[in-house]
Amino acid sequence: MVTSLIPPAAVFLPLLGAFAALPLGRISERARVIGLAAVAAATAALTLAVIPGVLAGTVYEAHLVRLTPEIWIHLRIDALGALFGATVSVLWLIALVYSEGYMRDGHRLGRYYPFFMLCLGWTLGVAYSGNLLTFLIFYELFSILTYPLIVHEETPEAIAAGTKYIIYILVGGSIVLIGVVFTFFLAGEQTFVAGGILDASADRTSLLLIFWCFVAGFGVKAALVPLHGWVPDAHPAAPAPFSAVLSGVMVAAGSFGITRVVFQVFGVDLLLELGVMPLLTAVAAFTVLFAAVLAVGQDDLKRRLAYSTISQMGYVALGIGLLGVDAVTGALVHISNHAFMKGTLFLCAGLFIKRLGIRRVSEMAGVARRMPVTTAAFALASLGMIGTPPLSGFISKWYLGLGALEAQQPLQLAVLLGGAMLAAVYLLPVVYSAFFKQPPPVTGTEDSGAREAPLSMLVPTVIAASLTIVLGLAAAVPGLPYSLARLATETFFR
Amino acid sequence: MEVIDIRPALAPAISFACSAMVFLLGSNRFWRSFWMLSASTLKLAVVLSMLPSSLQGTVYVYDLIEFTPGIGLGFRADALGMFFAAVSSTLWLITTVYAIGYMGKSEHRVRFFGFFSLCVSTTVGIAFAGDLLTFFLFYEILTICTYPLVIHNETPDALKAGRKYLIYTLIGGAFILIGTVVVFDAAGTLSLGQPGILSHAAGVHTLGLIFALLITGFAVKAAIMPLHGWLPSAMVAPTPVSALLHAVAVVKAGAFGILRTVYNVFGVDLLADVGFTVPLKWVSAFTIIVASLVAIFQDDLKRRLAYSTISQLSYIALAAAMLTPLSAAAAIVHITNQAFAKITMFFAAGAIQRTTGKTNVHELAGIGYQMPWTMGAFTVASLSFVGFPLFAGFITKWYLSLGALESGEFWVLAIMIVSSMLNAAYFLPIVYLAFFKAPPGTTLRVAEARPTLLIPTLVCAAYVIALGTMAEVPGMPFSLAKAAVRFVFGM
Repeated sequence: MVTSLIPPAAVFLPLLGAFAALPLGRISERARVIGLAAVAAATAALTLAVIPGVLAGTVYEAHLVRLTPEIWIHLRIDALGALFGATVSVLWLIALVYSEGYMRDGHRLGRYYPFFMLCLGWTLGVAYSGNLLTFLIFYELFSILTYPLIVHEETPEAIAAGTKYIIYILVGGSIVLIGVVFTFFLAGEQTFVAGGILDASADRTSLLLIFWCFVAGFGVKAALVPLHGWVPDAHPAAPAPFSAVLSGVMVAAGSFGITRVVFQVFGVDLLLELGVMPLLTAVAAFTVLFAAVLAVGQDDLKRRLAYSTISQMGYVALGIGLLGVDAVTGALVHISNHAFMKGTLFLCAGLFIKRLGIRRVSEMAGVARRMPVTTAAFALASLGMIGTPPLSGFISKWYLGLGALEAQQPLQLAVLLGGAMLAAVYLLPVVYSAFFKQPPPVTGTEDSGAREAPLSMLVPTVIAASLTIVLGLAAAVPGLPYSLARLATETFFR
Repeated sequence: MEVIDIRPALAPAISFACSAMVFLLGSNRFWRSFWMLSASTLKLAVVLSMLPSSLQGTVYVYDLIEFTPGIGLGFRADALGMFFAAVSSTLWLITTVYAIGYMGKSEHRVRFFGFFSLCVSTTVGIAFAGDLLTFFLFYEILTICTYPLVIHNETPDALKAGRKYLIYTLIGGAFILIGTVVVFDAAGTLSLGQPGILSHAAGVHTLGLIFALLITGFAVKAAIMPLHGWLPSAMVAPTPVSALLHAVAVVKAGAFGILRTVYNVFGVDLLADVGFTVPLKWVSAFTIIVASLVAIFQDDLKRRLAYSTISQLSYIALAAAMLTPLSAAAAIVHITNQAFAKITMFFAAGAIQRTTGKTNVHELAGIGYQMPWTMGAFTVASLSFVGFPLFAGFITKWYLSLGALESGEFWVLAIMIVSSMLNAAYFLPIVYLAFFKAPPGTTLRVAEARPTLLIPTLVCAAYVIALGTMAEVPGMPFSLAKAAVRFVFGM
């Protein structure tokens, strides 16, 4: 344990950015994005800079204010937090740079950018929380601050999606609060400790209640079926750069919460004794397949991707539920790998909307001729999502599969493969029609000249896509997600 | 440790003197404002000067007069009283600034400010009352002095509301008087200086009678259903009066009376034995939920706030009735948490009304672009009521939940969650309308309220955040609440 200023700096730097966004915007839009990108880059640098130390076994922490005798804000960077934090800040930086082009000439940018930065800070707070209350505080704050970004377009659909979102999230947050209060009441403390803070001496009913409160509460955010209702509405409604982070890391914050609770509040031994994990695994498996089947039927591209997110988050919950070293490693790596793959897909979907006005899969025919680079990035991320070696999605699915075998649950292996098959069914036709189908004859002249997006949007998209390759080919390099996930998992199962 | 000191009597006297000065010399606007501001500052200073030693456990007492042996006017600044006095003195100062700005050049300002000061004088009297009789005396004077404020506009509606207010509260007062007499008969003393003066010796029927009389009496001002009828009607009063009714004085006096009854007249051990608080729990829980449901359907902003107050006050009654140390902390600290958040909302509502003339929720579309700071403050207060972490309301929610688990009453947890959701359901749409629903085709310019209205609003909103983030700092209300809990539970 090393007391360090890095955790609070990483959390509060974006907040300073949020406050700077308004005065910077008075100068010019360009100045604002450059300033904010600098802040986001500095934040990302901080979150990456801690990784070597974390891998060497250092835990950075900072005790901030004490709210009441029992509640204090405690930030801590362990391997799990470092993994999530780095993913969050890098994807955010990519999405922020992309925003400059995507949101240009958009309305109410003075609202968009500050909230975008605030959400980054609070999501990093979630990643770096050292105890349950700190986690809850940041989790609730970023949940509510997401609202202005979801309804940003102010279309009737966006407003309806926002209302649905806020209801789901408030109810979920309240259920989490019950879990937190109950845990504190039974355990008398709330710091995350590998091996858990609850023990079997508490009565079984209470422990079960706490567990399901946490799973249900975080499950709303992590989009576990049947708590997923807000996801397919919110993603298409939000602006594309925000959809990317919403899908990539904010939904994952729910899965991250479940991970924290499973390994650092309950602990593996207690959960084996309670015997709740088979049920969680079953819910997760159902989520994987059910959402994937629904995704196949969606014509709206962003909606299809949203269902894909639900399905992929099911993988994470599934891996955690298997409670094996390999399965959990796979689940944690998948949080990070999925973030960049899904981020890429949403950024590409945004470019199709922005350049060609295409929102529907059925309109995608021949798109590759006009936007070859974008379509290639989309294809790459799709292949990754399916789990094609050597892309990053393969790494996570490999370990998840190993974990299923290790846990002697061949049925779960079948679920994993089924999910991957379905991913091929809902993603590859998009790629196919973009590359190989004839575009419809041009009726007007207005969009015939549309070509690739300007570099300010294309470069972030390509970088996100190339991360899919890097995280796959170089998975074993220390400092990349696999090493951190492995380290985190080893502490859980020590 | 008890120390004889005049300050507990001095605090109400300052407001009283101020009121006299306003009535006598208040026709000049400058001098009236001067007296009001200097008196409220002075009183706050007097109250705060007692704070450090009060936190150490010192109790200042001062017996003014003794009518007959055992009955007299006595003042006593214990932790619970200090808590209430500090809240109301702080808010008095802020509300005074706001009222000076709000009332502007309206009529009957001398009457308004004179009675305004009297009300606050009696509120501190209630806070520092050393025995039940002194308490009752100030409680009744408060009822009377509030009447001219409620009917201030002298419209038929206002007069009707005033009549309703008097009928409700005077009948409530009668209950308290009878209860006080029975307490004296049963216990031989009326002191509020001990953790309970009654005992089993009084007999369970007498005890039940006392509990029913006192709680029913106080429940009128605390607006516990079905005795809440006067509060929504009293919305016709000017906004500073609403603030006074809802946050600073009147309803809080009722809630404070319930706390005194539970903690100082009966004592937690006795009440836990006889189990009288069970019906109180159910009634408060009912009020919390039903008042929130009613609030959802109010279009008049101030009426919506009124029903919210009814719901929130029952948190105090519910938490007090649970009789555990943690829930007691929640009950006490919620007096402040509710007060600051609600006064922020009323200030915002008044500022909107004065600046734009709008009073209904549906007219507020896009107001956030016109008055961003005012609506920002309103948003902070809303999030506090929903119970978001880092805001004042979360502290209440946290301790109430822990108290519910401590006493094994899980249903309270459910009530609290449902209530938070309902709070979200009637406050967040206002925030949504203000910030996300600009009326099409119009360009809204920033046109904020004047500084005398805006600054008090922002100060209160900032304090809502301070209450939620710095509860642990000594001298913040929470530390006093803890001292009070230690005394009540003999810890």
